[in-house]
Amino acid sequence: MNEPEAKPALPPGRSWRDIRQEVQSVAMSRRGRQRQILAWMKAIGISLLLAGVTGAVYYLAHSWATDRASLATAVHSERVREVVLMTNGVLAQAWVSEVLALPKAISLMALDLPALRKRLMVHGQVQVAVLTRNFPDALVVTLQERTPVARVQVQAGAATPQQLLVAKDGVVYEGRNYDQQMLAGLPWLDGIRLVPSAEGFVPIAGMAEVSSLLSTVQLQAPHLYRGWLIVSLARLAVADEIVVKAQDIPEIIFTRKRPFFKQVAQLDYIIDRAHELPDPMLKSVNLTFDGQVPVRLENASPDASSKPSGNFLKPVGQSKGKREF
Amino acid sequence: MSSNRTRIIAAVEIGTNKIVVLVGQVSPSRLLHIIGVGVASARGIMKGEVVDYKAACEATHEALEMASTRAGADIQEVWLAQSGGHLDAFYNEASVNVKSADNIVTALDMATVCAMAKEKELPEGRSRIHEIRRPYRLDGRTVPAPEHLVARRLEVGYWIIHGPASKVSDNIHVIGGYHLEVRELVLASLASGSLLTNTEERTKGALVIDMGKGVTDYVLYRDGHVLVTGTLAVAGEHLTNDLSLGLRITTAQAEMLKLRHARGTIQTRDKTDKVWLNGDGAFGDRQISKLAIETITAARTLEILEVVKQKLGPAFEAQHCGAGVILTGGTSRMPGLEEAAARIFSLPARRGEAPTWVNDELRDPMFSTALGIFEFALRGAHEHPVPAPRKSGWLVSLARIFATT
Repeated sequence: MNEPEAKPALPPGRSWRDIRQEVQSVAMSRRGRQRQILAWMKAIGISLLLAGVTGAVYYLAHSWATDRASLATAVHSERVREVVLMTNGVLAQAWVSEVLALPKAISLMALDLPALRKRLMVHGQVQVAVLTRNFPDALVVTLQERTPVARVQVQAGAATPQQLLVAKDGVVYEGRNYDQQMLAGLPWLDGIRLVPSAEGFVPIAGMAEVSSLLSTVQLQAPHLYRGWLIVSLARLAVADEIVVKAQDIPEIIFTRKRPFFKQVAQLDYIIDRAHELPDPMLKSVNLTFDGQVPVRLENASPDASSKPSGNFLKPVGQSKGKREF
Repeated sequence: MSSNRTRIIAAVEIGTNKIVVLVGQVSPSRLLHIIGVGVASARGIMKGEVVDYKAACEATHEALEMASTRAGADIQEVWLAQSGGHLDAFYNEASVNVKSADNIVTALDMATVCAMAKEKELPEGRSRIHEIRRPYRLDGRTVPAPEHLVARRLEVGYWIIHGPASKVSDNIHVIGGYHLEVRELVLASLASGSLLTNTEERTKGALVIDMGKGVTDYVLYRDGHVLVTGTLAVAGEHLTNDLSLGLRITTAQAEMLKLRHARGTIQTRDKTDKVWLNGDGAFGDRQISKLAIETITAARTLEILEVVKQKLGPAFEAQHCGAGVILTGGTSRMPGLEEAAARIFSLPARRGEAPTWVNDELRDPMFSTALGIFEFALRGAHEHPVPAPRKSGWLVSLARIFATT
């Protein structure tokens, strides 16, 4: 037989504080009920106020993100009268104005700065762009531009071949406003494969090393740099070699495993020594080895071309004090 | 936890005759400023117990409303006086051997002995109202603070006041019916005693008797501590009843006679000295012997005081009650009560006087208990700290409102 379980008795000796104080509405007096309703109304009012404040904050945040035009009408600002350009490069204010294409009567607060910045950043020549409102009526555009270190020839289908520039970080872009003489002095890049992307081309790998080599030779031996025509990256990925074709030497092989400064010094020395020979035409100079520099001469006998010239391996500067590295 | 806010607290006494509400503004530094008073005739209360919930609510809420309106502030919490024949108390003590090897009393020893002394179980259905600690004893000698002193044995006793949970709940629910929370219950006799005695008197020893309409509360102090408290369900109402029965008059007439001619001791010697029953010379008015009135009221008064003495038992020793007997409550206005008390207790007796900080308007004995509630809680007349203020703020209030549904 199942007997109902007896309810456990309350523990003896409870404190009066354990007594439940709330009473039901029916047990309240009229005044008590009025107070309770008032308390409820206060609670509901506070809840509504809280909800209102939360909604307003959300609405403002949402407006800020999506509807700047309506926000702009709430803030008094004047029409944009001036676009100020500050740059470390060659881009002109007119070009910036053209790219931004601001509507004529737009107010300063109505500008969508992130969108405008995007328009500028589409151009590879622009590395960093900062747009700021300068109240009451000026938009300040601060640019940091890329510097070209080489150029490439691009031809899409039957279109006219186009010359593009390559920056140190490998970005390929269409240069604007550059000095044509400066551009003509840049070597061409060879042995690369340009991969199209949404923003133009995928940056070329290995340009950091190429840039380092070019800047070294440009700084330390500008007379050599002036004669460089083509820089090939064809063997860079597989053999760590950068092959340069100069005006007077068809093949100069550099390696990225050794300091470029030393390789350039060796090249300069070898060229100088080669000029002392009766027939100075160098066909190939290989600077990839640490201890010796294999050199091939034009019309040289097989014996002569296969042996490294011992005289060429004298320390740099030993015979010619005029070259300083 | 201390609050940085001023609290609006109502001290409420739900008496058999009157319901008194005092609204006090208590600052964070425990400064009290009485800002509202509400008094209503009691209904639905008999000998401190709620017998008609609805009537008791109406009367109490009327007093609360009056006090709140006069204060011009919304009452945040209630400290409620508790009285009535349903309350009981007992003494329980415990002792422990001091644990440390060097016999130095630690805080842990004190906590242990206090917990043991308080842990005695109450009969089923009873709730604790107060746990009042008496002084510690170290190897038999009384010390107020035994920590870091050397002894082998530590003893302490607690005077535990309790009451039936159902009746205590009734009083609390009367306040709950006004959508207010009771934050502290204070025994009426402790409240009156705290107000009417000072530290010196409590140290000398004092007996405070609060004689109301339905209940007589008393508290005996010795060495600065509460020794015994108690409540008798006999008070001024019985004097009225005795007059009504003895003189064969109505209760209302008896009440009038009591207020005008009752005495705690017999003063009249002339049997022919008479007083008019109604005093209006109307039809049915008659003369009653003043001696008869005094004889009846004095007999009952002496009996009540005698019962108080009996209840105190061996705890009461006249030589340890240097400050004498202090009388308060509505019935204490009766002439001759001091003489009666002095005769019974063999001690000087006087009417209790409220401290000087109490306004003239509140010096009436009717307000003693309500004022004493503030005094007891704020001046720390027992070991429990002032009740922690209820967490306030709109968010907490909001949560509380939703929690009560």
